Amino acid sequence: MSSNQQNRFDRKSAHLPLPRFSPTRRRFLKTSAAIASGLALSNCARNLSNANTGSSPTGSPTDSATSASGKLYIYTWANYTDDELIKGFQEKTGIQVVADPFASNEIMMAKMQAGGGSAYSIIYPSDYTVIEMRESGMLTPLDHSRLQGLDTLKPKWQNPVYDRGNAHSIPAVWGTTGLIYDPQKVGKEIDGWSYIWDNRKSLTRQVTLIEDVREVMGATLRTLGYSYNTTNPDQIKKAYSKLVQIKPTIASFLTTGWEDQLASGDITISMVYSQDAIALIKEKPNLKYIVPKTGSSVWTDTMVIPKSAPNPDAAYAWMNYLLQPDVAAGLVERLGTATANQAAFDLLSPETQKDDRLFPTEAMLSKCEGVAPVPARITEVYDQYWTRLTSS
Amino acid sequence: MSTSTPSSPTLAEPLPTAPRGWHKLTRLIEPIVLLVPSGVWLLLLLVAPTLLILELSFIPGFRLGQPTGGYGIGNYLEIFRPIYFQVIWRSVLFAVGCTVTCMLLGFPVAYWIAVMAPPRWRNLLLVAFVLPLWTSSLLRAYAWITILRPSGSLNSLLSALHLPNQEWLNQTPAVYIGMAYSFLPYMVLILYASLEKLDKRLLEAASDLGATPQQTFWKVTVPQTLPGIAAGGLLVFITSLGEFVVPELLGGASSMTVSRLIYNQFLGATRNWGLGSSFSILMITGVSIAIALLLKYGDRDSALT
Repeated sequence: MSSNQQNRFDRKSAHLPLPRFSPTRRRFLKTSAAIASGLALSNCARNLSNANTGSSPTGSPTDSATSASGKLYIYTWANYTDDELIKGFQEKTGIQVVADPFASNEIMMAKMQAGGGSAYSIIYPSDYTVIEMRESGMLTPLDHSRLQGLDTLKPKWQNPVYDRGNAHSIPAVWGTTGLIYDPQKVGKEIDGWSYIWDNRKSLTRQVTLIEDVREVMGATLRTLGYSYNTTNPDQIKKAYSKLVQIKPTIASFLTTGWEDQLASGDITISMVYSQDAIALIKEKPNLKYIVPKTGSSVWTDTMVIPKSAPNPDAAYAWMNYLLQPDVAAGLVERLGTATANQAAFDLLSPETQKDDRLFPTEAMLSKCEGVAPVPARITEVYDQYWTRLTSS
Repeated sequence: MSTSTPSSPTLAEPLPTAPRGWHKLTRLIEPIVLLVPSGVWLLLLLVAPTLLILELSFIPGFRLGQPTGGYGIGNYLEIFRPIYFQVIWRSVLFAVGCTVTCMLLGFPVAYWIAVMAPPRWRNLLLVAFVLPLWTSSLLRAYAWITILRPSGSLNSLLSALHLPNQEWLNQTPAVYIGMAYSFLPYMVLILYASLEKLDKRLLEAASDLGATPQQTFWKVTVPQTLPGIAAGGLLVFITSLGEFVVPELLGGASSMTVSRLIYNQFLGATRNWGLGSSFSILMITGVSIAIALLLKYGDRDSALT
């Protein structure tokens, strides 16, 4: 009974054409979407009926999309689009845009693989998910002759490791993973992951970590001097043993939803994506975001066109629109999303260009790694340690 | 049967030639017509998906988009690892704790509404008690976060009263509080339905015969409402065993339950649909047993309210 209410609630939020929510509301919706899709799962029977009949737990607009050709459905992270962007695109092309948010790559993948995402012509997967989607044949190779402005991308993103030559994807937003904290509360500057281990006695339930196996294990591996992408089970085991030491400090594993607790001082430190940290610091300038000195992960969220896309023409139009330097620069200024577009970067104000939370220096980036897929048997090793960590 | 179908005689009497076979036919068709819609519904949306999960649960390590091996019982063997036992044990503990709390808190309320409150207020009181159910359980969980967080309303109140602050959020106490709050109305409703039928003459008779109020309660009231207690207890136990929202939002990093584990296997960080399915089957089996008990021992009339 109550789960029906959840779904109705979620359906409402998923259909909103993304007005600019206040960040609190946005966060609430993000978390609600995650919870509500989880609710659909807690009722196991309903879950597979969803997978089976191809209707999505978040109520995707499948039917209306395939018939309406002047509409573009995009599936993206919650704060990657705003009204201004969508309006500008509609004025230019006459195509109406509906943006549905997802809270994690995993949720997006589950929906796509279960057939619930056939309405979408543009999806925003992260780098390692691009590889996964490409390998399972879900992506259309991009026709570069239909795209203008690829040459204005920063050299690093002309030929990224996750997608050589941008054959299947275009970088949209990039950033790092790091720590956000209140320097006044902590009383000193934090410079790396080791702070949590050094102060684990006094940090009981004062830390939140990202709900992502590879990010959390990777950060720990990094403090031990290993790679984020190690395939050596011994090294993974060592990282697990080290992580167990700080289990009492972990209040919760949260990718979103930590913001209010951190802002109110209920928790001291959060491991977060730079994108989310910058959004919160805009409201709470007393907080500070750092990229740990031992190195961290650097990620890229991209735009792809799935094979099932009902409206690839509109998808190319969207990509071209976002490749325009002025549009991309406007997004950086409004939403605080770091662009991979050199021409757009050049348009930014000097303060924004020098903001090393948005655009980390080369010295910082040289210590960072991208999370890459590992073989299935190693994924299992990671998963087993993660389950042990989260279940104890 | 012929006497109990008042509509058919009018049809049958003017047509004395209509053979008894006609009767037989309607008797055959009637239940089919009545049962088919819900039958199809259940078959499509309950039986078929459950069978699918059953199939997935026998494919060890099934992950979407990856090649699968053959059938096997690997997923079920996995369940027997100590770490998962701990999770199952914790889920059961939460459910039992929630049931007991609801019983202790709900019985006096239901007793008061059903026996002691003025009759004309009863419906109003019941509605007032059930009113929270009209809001989303997600919102109610968020409300508890606001109350229980270290800088929340509870601690402001405790500070004002010069009492020590409590850090319950992201721990077990928050889960118990949130779950008991969620399921208390159900318990009260069922107990009320049972207590309402209580024969008050027996209470008077008991006190006439010299029983103390305690004796009356334990020897007259409780035995009469036992089916209601069983129904309420089992219903709350079943729903809280599968509860996802409260442990997920209030429980933090140290209260993994079976539902959260299943969620993680399907949509969360570790995506092993096979293992998730075997846990789902385990859960479905456990809940089915509880429902069988409910049907056998529960007060079915009050459980239906």
